[in-house]
Amino acid sequence: MHRRYERLGCAALALLGAAGSIAFAFFLPDPPEAPRWVGAGAQTPQVGGTFVFHHEANVRSLDPHVAYDELSGMAIRLMFDGLLDYDHESNLVPSLAEAMPAVSEDGRTFRFRLRRGVRFHPMAGHPEGRELVAEDVRWSMLRLMSQDVGSPGYPFYASIEGADAYHEGNADDVAGIRVIDRYTIELQLKEADQTFLNAMAMPFAYPVPRENYEHWGDEVKFHPVGTGPFVFEAWERGVQLTFVRNERYWREKPGPERMLYLENIGRELAAQRFRNGDIDSIHRQSPSDYRFFKTSEAWRPYMVEEPRGSTYGLGFNCEMAPFDDVHVRRAIAFALDREGWSRARAGRLLPASQLLPPSIPGYDPELPTRQVFDLERAREEMRLAGHPDGLPEPITVWITGQDDTSRQYGELLQSDLARIGIDVRLRFVSFAVYLTESGKPNTVPAFFTGWNLDFPDPSNFLFLFDQKSIHPEHSENRSFYRNPEVDRLLAEGKSERDRERRLGLYRQANEIVARDAPWAFLYYTLTMELWQPYVRNYDPHPVWSEDYREVWLDLPRERVARSLAGVGGPVPARFYPMGALR
Amino acid sequence: MIAWLIRRLLVATGVTVVVVALVFFLVNAVGDPAVATLGPNAGPEQIADFERKNGLDEPVLQQFASYLGVVPCVRDASPVAAEGGHCGLLQGDFGESFSHNEPVSTVIAHRLPRTLLLGVVAMIFELIFGLGVGILAAVRRNTWIDTGLMALAFLGISLPSFVTGPLFLSWFGFRFGWFPLGGYGVDFWDHVYHSILPAFTLAIIGAATYARVMRGELVETLRSDFVRTAAAKGLPPSRVVGHAIRNALLPVVTLFGLSLPLLVAGAIITEKIFGWPGMGSLAIESIVNLDAPTVMGVVVVFAIAVQVGNLLADVAVALLDPRVRVEKSG
Repeated sequence: MHRRYERLGCAALALLGAAGSIAFAFFLPDPPEAPRWVGAGAQTPQVGGTFVFHHEANVRSLDPHVAYDELSGMAIRLMFDGLLDYDHESNLVPSLAEAMPAVSEDGRTFRFRLRRGVRFHPMAGHPEGRELVAEDVRWSMLRLMSQDVGSPGYPFYASIEGADAYHEGNADDVAGIRVIDRYTIELQLKEADQTFLNAMAMPFAYPVPRENYEHWGDEVKFHPVGTGPFVFEAWERGVQLTFVRNERYWREKPGPERMLYLENIGRELAAQRFRNGDIDSIHRQSPSDYRFFKTSEAWRPYMVEEPRGSTYGLGFNCEMAPFDDVHVRRAIAFALDREGWSRARAGRLLPASQLLPPSIPGYDPELPTRQVFDLERAREEMRLAGHPDGLPEPITVWITGQDDTSRQYGELLQSDLARIGIDVRLRFVSFAVYLTESGKPNTVPAFFTGWNLDFPDPSNFLFLFDQKSIHPEHSENRSFYRNPEVDRLLAEGKSERDRERRLGLYRQANEIVARDAPWAFLYYTLTMELWQPYVRNYDPHPVWSEDYREVWLDLPRERVARSLAGVGGPVPARFYPMGALR
Repeated sequence: MIAWLIRRLLVATGVTVVVVALVFFLVNAVGDPAVATLGPNAGPEQIADFERKNGLDEPVLQQFASYLGVVPCVRDASPVAAEGGHCGLLQGDFGESFSHNEPVSTVIAHRLPRTLLLGVVAMIFELIFGLGVGILAAVRRNTWIDTGLMALAFLGISLPSFVTGPLFLSWFGFRFGWFPLGGYGVDFWDHVYHSILPAFTLAIIGAATYARVMRGELVETLRSDFVRTAAAKGLPPSRVVGHAIRNALLPVVTLFGLSLPLLVAGAIITEKIFGWPGMGSLAIESIVNLDAPTVMGVVVVFAIAVQVGNLLADVAVALLDPRVRVEKSG
């Protein structure tokens, strides 16, 4: 009798569990398919509100001389300005400088005139801030060049006359940096270099006030003071940073009253928060979120998908067999079915045909030597290399990471190269190991690699194939590709003052590199950026990642009625402060 | 007891040093931290600068001795290096984080309290649910309640946090909107509120384990002679069970002690899923960035936590169970 009851109890329990699961599934609200919130409909820029954005890792530093990562850059650009900046067509434009600098006849000297009346944010000893002057620019550049600071940006400024002596501690000043008057500063280079102006737009060259550094010492990275549109307010490490509107900003005043930068929020979490209306813009998605947004009609008006300034490919060490034979390299370059790779990644990759990505001047969609998928040409190149039936030995390709994407890329490569008789063995390594080992001669035969721009100039990509970038260790030219013609074109391009002629020289170098295939170019990444309907004037910048300096919020935002946009589920209970920010 | 405690402390210190040594040499073998920190376009001079400042240009054995603080500091960037001073663990110096650009101790000081909060909330859930379920199942042993609860516990043990975490987030954060979608919050009670979902995720396996151990032990105790005697003497059932629970708690206390390190180290995956900015996410980030001083700092804290947890468990068991005390002192 007792056992019978027990069985009945168990059966009832199982039934209860099943019924509970069904009921749970029934009452579980659908996730919102469309934006939950829309703006009030203002046509002119509004002031107020909090703009919320995120990154999945942690900000490393707010010192522009030290920070060299994307996350820190996103925060730094809110607070600082440079002498120069880029417009939305990637052109250099004056920012704190009142005009583009005057260049001397020999192309070595640049004279900058600063705008008058630009003020630093309030700081210790200057509660109202103080005016930016040429001496600030000089002191800031000296600081970034000092060995004690150890700025990763120093190489971009090492071409200034006297920089080496100062960096090594053999001089107290940099001879090539001269303050002419309160608002004028002159920079003189060792040799003519037209790419140098890009360095003056990089965050490393953002002017900072000396007294703030002297006041805070090592703690200055937590007390940043610049001239930018937002003033630093607080940083809870690993959690969030807040910035408030700079009421004295010298340019058009910013829109949001406050910027909230959430750290450490992964892409899946961020996508959910974004769909709930708790984050105002996202820029990285998991594959499933990407598919959701890509196919969503409701989100389409608030999304843009563009290639970034980066190129990825399969690098070869041109000093190691069999890649010392240009025909083997070219065979592989022609054997890669880049469209197939793109399809395998749900269209998130743009097939690459050359080193320069589409957003960089010098990119030529009709480049005669462009690398495309052509199996016949690949087989012909294998014949020319003396291997009509394929390579006798397998090749080893280094690939970074152990995630699904790395594995998928490895498998795609193996499948493509099997068609021309090349057996691929994959070696999975960490990024640090790849960087260390591939910079040494005769060490890594082939490797997945890529380059993301420091500044939007072809020289910033082509230097990867300059012989000057080969060293006994830590070579940036990881292909150990040596071509005197490319070296000559790059040297001429550097000093050429006429923009069109410069680009012409770089086009030639780009063409040679595509022909000689030190890399088999694979793809340019596509970045999907989304923003809320009430976020206005957001135009993704071609150079700066997630540049929110010009946005304004169309407030008060309104909850979209369920029936209008097909939004499922009840309004989430907003007990937590996130919801109270608007 | 004192002699035993000293012996036990010496062993704990030895184990910690061995762990620190192992991880130090492993981290050094993985790759070049200078290259990983400075990125792909760092020139040889910059890398040499970085290595000099951080002592990475010295032989690895000397680096290790300097890290322990038994030889003069090899990190040129350290303020004590110029005077030939020491800058290692013995001096309480964990070094300077490569990626955070500040002392590792400061980075850990920010992160540790957050992980402790998460761990404490998780442990409260574990004890409440685990012991509650275990006692109920034991008292109602061999009934459908017992079967149902143990089935639930079995399910709990089988579900890793990388499955339950995203599901809870999606259900209770995203779709019902009852809890925040990850993050840490802005003040203490907000932190507690933000910790509920990750702590619950973290507690499931522990609670299930407690429940099974508690049930097994209590069932065994309820069958023992002293319980039968107590019942035969006419003690009310609730007091009988109370006596039994006290005796059944012994293995639970051991288990609790062993799980104390989880307060610090157990939440690596859960922290990542919920965007909880504690030691777990710091560990992952530092490993990815090859930030050797931070990795070492985290490992030292974890190693100490494990040793302290084990020690506390041993001491607690010794205090609770006179037999153990006698054995150890003898």
